[in-house]
Amino acid sequence: MAQAKHPLSGLKVVEVAGDVAGEFAGLLLAQMGAEVLKVEPPQGSPTRAVGPFAKGEAGPDTSLAFWYYNSNKKSAVAELSSPAGMAALRSLLKDADVFICTLQPRELSALKLDLAALTEAFPRLIVLSVTPFGLTGPWVDYKSSDLIALALGGPLNSCGYDDHSIPPIRPGGDQGYHSATSFAQIGVMLALLERQKTGRGQLLDISMHEACAVNVELANPYWFYPKVNVQRQTCRHAQPSPTQSALFRCADGRYVYFALILAEPKAWNALVSWMDSKGMAVQLTEPEFSDVAYRQAHFHEVQELVECFFLVQDSHDAYLDGQAAGLPIGVLNAPEDLFGDEHLKAREFFQEVEHEGLGKVTYPGPIYRFSSFGGVPRTAAPKLGEHTAEALADGARTLATEDAAS
Amino acid sequence: MGADFSMQTTTAAPKPVLADPSRTPRPRQGPLAGVRVADFCWMGVGACATRLLADFGAEVIRIEDRNRLDMPRRLPIYKGEARTYGEEDANPDPNKGGLFNNYNRNKLGVTINMRSPKGRELADRLIAASSVVTENFAPGVMERWGLTYERLNQLSPEVIYARMSGFGHTGPHHEHRSYGPIVQAVCGLSYISGLPGEEPSGWGLSYMDNEAAFFNASALLTAIYHRNNTGLGAEIDVSAVEAGINLLGPILLDVSVNGRSTRNGDYPTGNRLEHPNAAPHGVYPCQGEDRWIAIAVFDDAEWRGLVSVMGAPSWTAEARFATQAARFANQDALDALMGAWTADKDRYELMHRLQAAGVRAGAVQTAEDTNDHDPQIAGRGVFFEMDHPVIGEARFEGTPIQFSQTVQENWRSGPLLGEDNAHVFKGLLGVAEDEYEELAAEGVI
Repeated sequence: MAQAKHPLSGLKVVEVAGDVAGEFAGLLLAQMGAEVLKVEPPQGSPTRAVGPFAKGEAGPDTSLAFWYYNSNKKSAVAELSSPAGMAALRSLLKDADVFICTLQPRELSALKLDLAALTEAFPRLIVLSVTPFGLTGPWVDYKSSDLIALALGGPLNSCGYDDHSIPPIRPGGDQGYHSATSFAQIGVMLALLERQKTGRGQLLDISMHEACAVNVELANPYWFYPKVNVQRQTCRHAQPSPTQSALFRCADGRYVYFALILAEPKAWNALVSWMDSKGMAVQLTEPEFSDVAYRQAHFHEVQELVECFFLVQDSHDAYLDGQAAGLPIGVLNAPEDLFGDEHLKAREFFQEVEHEGLGKVTYPGPIYRFSSFGGVPRTAAPKLGEHTAEALADGARTLATEDAAS
Repeated sequence: MGADFSMQTTTAAPKPVLADPSRTPRPRQGPLAGVRVADFCWMGVGACATRLLADFGAEVIRIEDRNRLDMPRRLPIYKGEARTYGEEDANPDPNKGGLFNNYNRNKLGVTINMRSPKGRELADRLIAASSVVTENFAPGVMERWGLTYERLNQLSPEVIYARMSGFGHTGPHHEHRSYGPIVQAVCGLSYISGLPGEEPSGWGLSYMDNEAAFFNASALLTAIYHRNNTGLGAEIDVSAVEAGINLLGPILLDVSVNGRSTRNGDYPTGNRLEHPNAAPHGVYPCQGEDRWIAIAVFDDAEWRGLVSVMGAPSWTAEARFATQAARFANQDALDALMGAWTADKDRYELMHRLQAAGVRAGAVQTAEDTNDHDPQIAGRGVFFEMDHPVIGEARFEGTPIQFSQTVQENWRSGPLLGEDNAHVFKGLLGVAEDEYEELAAEGVI
């Protein structure tokens, strides 16, 4: 077989996605070389209306949220509620490999779009449905959002502060939608592998609710086995019962995460000699502290000394010195700190993308690196309808735009 | 997982387990049937990634070290005992750990002492019989055993070698110690989570253990798909920190394009949503101890739905709540009024009433709730049970993808320590009986 430069080169993906879950799935496929065509209504995908906007100027082509999740795609306009628009979509699906669709069952019915029937009509087509609750079940028509999904699925219950008069706090960055994307991406790759064997596509039904329900890490095994619910704690693992703080404030007002482990001699000795090297180990070098039981009995004393130790150091120094001492410690970087990070620079992680009228914009680089092939370089998200003419067959295009204009 | 546990332990070879025909390895079905994986992964990330391969037909052979037990075998997540994960036994039963069972269903398990030359030789033979090799040790460990990509490619031409780490295999910090919470801190995900002006609330779980696992699994599937098309293998380098940065979302562009500072005290925004201007958008108290409901209103239609469920109290008609922009601007007052209204309501009853009126609402559910009280999940079979020789019946979290064709074949719970030594070493690799006995006697396996 011919050697493709990118693993998904030659694959055609049609995307009808109005939320981050579907759009991120399309992006991940595009970054591996698939040709992803985003089909949008004449007014544009609803995600084009979500800020922040470049230089604060709202408009269909300036949403940074849209840019982030729609790089490397093409955009064609078709009004799916019109017969012509639907005909245009069907003509696109005829030679597509993957159809990404975030419409909920009620919206599908309104459009008379039957996903199972599509896999009959186009036997090689992989239909990837990504919705808040899936295509079946009593909550199928319920509405969701990132916050709602994280709440109902369980991750939110583990996140927040020690003080339980404060509600659980949503972790940042649309992680409910991202959880759904993770399984969407894995599902598509498995379906492509299955198609290599059988020649047949199929329907994949991804529920954001379920993706969140299995993305709670220890909370599930803690329920499967001891039958306990974990309790949220400030910036550290939710646990069956409270554990000590792991967030330490530094001289620059920033924080490091450091799990103070008293029971492990190697980690304890590394900590004490690090503190001692700064003249701050105080009584911790006394022989009685070499006994685990003694350390545990004097835990508050230890915790206070460690708090003081971090309070006189800058966070980045504490991070690097602590890591050099072999301790598991991480600095809480803010987004703006990442662009100057020496490690990420050495790995040439961030990518510059040319944006018309704006110059170079810095985006995150690839999630995975392969030795013998690669992803495609990041390119700017399409303007609304930028590729309508080239993407839609002549007849369908005329009909789609006529309908859209009427 | 959250902390660093790397104690050395010595575990005697287990007593032979009674032969249970239902646990005998068999030909697998699914899109990955026929793919054999020499799996050096351990801890959470690696095991969770290769679980996705094992679920769909790959013959994943976990390689473990009796002298350095995998942490999920040690953590005290046991039936009938509620302990934090730090409260482990000094000499835990390696076959009792629930977390190991959770991460390693559908896999085979063998033991090899990689510190012995004979052990490394045996590993070479297993690699030669496999077409995928996976690992998530600290960088340098596989090299110490001579297991570079070049070497693996000699043993198994066009092998796929997946290397999962916190920081990647190059760069000045590649040897940094890495656990979920450290990855979350360094990549920015912890900082962007919390109330404005307060210490970050971050994450109460190793979200990045799971997400890095998912990305590693999709990288592996992509490489296998590509090899099927081209015949080419690959070495894969996934840095969990870099994956995490990709999950920060548009805030990263707000900083890079608009020069926004997230250190001004107005960011992060707690449960409030900046884009779009949703309001109310929060988590409000309900009847019971530590019970909450999330409610999100994005437009006027949803607001009208909410007002109708509330019975249109007079405050909802005030000018300061008349438009979406006004509600967004007056969220302090709005949230206080919302919380006062929800406080005496049942979280589920309220959620269903709000959803019936077209309002986005969801109870904050615990794992108990999603497992035992969630009709949506129960009806779709996300969780399932399998028996385990030591633990007994155990529940598992399935892979939440409903395929119309592909089957997730759950054929066995997690392997006992060394359970498949005879099957793999004698059956697959052709080690003679006397040599096998010798390897066992010398502590090589």
